[in-house]
Amino acid sequence: MSDTPAPDHASRLFRRTLLRVIAMQVATLLLLWLLQIRYTR
Amino acid sequence: MHALDWVIVAVYLVYVLVDGVRRSKGTREIEGYFLANRSLPWWAVGLSVMATQLSAITLIGTTGQGATDGLRFVQFYFGLPLAMVILGVTLVPFLHGARVFTAYEYLERRFDARTRSLTSFLFLVARGMSCGTIIAAPAVVFSAIFGWGLLWSVALMGVPTVIYTMIGGVQAVTWVDVKQMGLIVFAVIAVIVTLFVQLPVAPDHALALAGATGRLRAFDFSLDLTNDFTFWSGLIGGTFLMLSYFGTDQSQVQRYITAKSVDQARSSLLMSAYWKIPLQALILLMGVLVFVFFVFQRPPLLFNPAQEQAVRAAEPAKYGGLDERYRTALHERETAAHAVAVEASAASLEAFRAREADVGALRTEALGLARRVTGTTAQDVNYVMPYFVLHFLPVGLIGIFVAAVLAAAMSSIAAELNSLATVTVIDFYRRWVRPEAPDAHYLLVSKAATGFWGLFACVVAMFAATLGSLIVVVNRFGSFFYGSILGVFLLAMIPRARATGAFFGLIAGMAAVGVVNFGAPSVSWLWHNVIGAVTVVAVGMVLSGRANVEVGTRNAEQK
Repeated sequence: MSDTPAPDHASRLFRRTLLRVIAMQVATLLLLWLLQIRYTR
Repeated sequence: MHALDWVIVAVYLVYVLVDGVRRSKGTREIEGYFLANRSLPWWAVGLSVMATQLSAITLIGTTGQGATDGLRFVQFYFGLPLAMVILGVTLVPFLHGARVFTAYEYLERRFDARTRSLTSFLFLVARGMSCGTIIAAPAVVFSAIFGWGLLWSVALMGVPTVIYTMIGGVQAVTWVDVKQMGLIVFAVIAVIVTLFVQLPVAPDHALALAGATGRLRAFDFSLDLTNDFTFWSGLIGGTFLMLSYFGTDQSQVQRYITAKSVDQARSSLLMSAYWKIPLQALILLMGVLVFVFFVFQRPPLLFNPAQEQAVRAAEPAKYGGLDERYRTALHERETAAHAVAVEASAASLEAFRAREADVGALRTEALGLARRVTGTTAQDVNYVMPYFVLHFLPVGLIGIFVAAVLAAAMSSIAAELNSLATVTVIDFYRRWVRPEAPDAHYLLVSKAATGFWGLFACVVAMFAATLGSLIVVVNRFGSFFYGSILGVFLLAMIPRARATGAFFGLIAGMAAVGVVNFGAPSVSWLWHNVIGAVTVVAVGMVLSGRANVEVGTRNAEQK
């Protein structure tokens, strides 16, 4: 038995990771923006 | 450093060496040595990609940058996630599906041998030199703070890395990277928590003090081409740089072509995209908090101990007077900071800003004096973090942080050595010297090549360390090629592009970057990547168009 994941599973993994990447970047940039407007005077 | 810290560093070095060498088991063929038989899981490859990109200078220099300049450097990475997504749907399927050892091997299949050889030669020159500077930068800092000879610092990082990379190949590099990345993240989080605990003011006030000096300004939307770090240079120039670095640099490509499948290779890149900006922001924030910490704990006038000694010996009266004024300014700044902690009003923040400017002016004066005395560039930004670590972190955490710096250096060096050896053997030795030989022979040559590049990097490191400006030269030198190499790979994906266009387009791209570099040196080097890539594609397509017309004419005549 091969331990290489099935193509469907791998594609799902890729799409799920992509969504997480976008969410994480948006959250980080938002946090940095809030930090800047809250404290830079 | 306390004995316990040295024990932690020694345990780390022995563990890495043993673990790396242990991975050599089962590596009998060249595919196993260079590509781990394309069997590695995506998360391990992703962590390895991240560890390779995170060098010792990230932990030492970026934190120093955060302490002196704030968060704005984070904009440099804004293009990375976008680049990873673009690569995931374009180049990664190409390279993984082509079953190649090196990215440049694909160029011969697509164009011709001369384009492959020129591109791989450029990679060897740029990466061979940069590998030396990756060792040199932390080695110089280690020598200055511990008082060792430079050779010992270079050997401390170089020797174990060369041994495990030479014996274990890419398996050793990747699995050791995974553990090294874990150690680095643990050290960064531990230091940030310690900083918050040790600060005499609440986190909100600490951030108010940092913000008052502009150190929390992470976004700069100005359209200034001469400013190195703006939102636009990071997003546009950074995307091109990251596309080039992760898409065409063998030290990165070799990481993800070891993955089990195309989707796993893409997921490993996305993992790096996921963590890169948050991790860099955390590292910079660590530097910003070190700045706030030094508002309440008096820092030295010059952070580089070797430099301070030299200035003190050469100009004792002048330096003494400057130091006395500095102490007074520090005291006034601390008083102003306490006033902000009591009430963060506009007036108290303004007073703090003015005292901070006084401290900054005295530091600039001292650095100018150091420059005159030592005759070298007297930026001591790389010494801020080591000073803080050695003087203010608790016993045990010092050892962990020093081990993390070594881990960051070694993970980058190992990946570079492995990729340099791969290109040497696959693109030159097997292509031009011995095309047919048993795997055992190539394996032996590969290990010898790793050893050679390790030695080469250590020698370059010794020179780079003594000629401080060489590091700048090498970085600018590297930026000559990155955009142009990316341009060749972009051409490879355009069906109408031809070999002549690719080869001369590559030369034209480097020439264009050269003209901009010397003709308009004020243009930030991040834009060089855009200029190089665009020129290669434009010239390449024009020449390919002419080649297509000639072929069409010949075919018509033959008919």
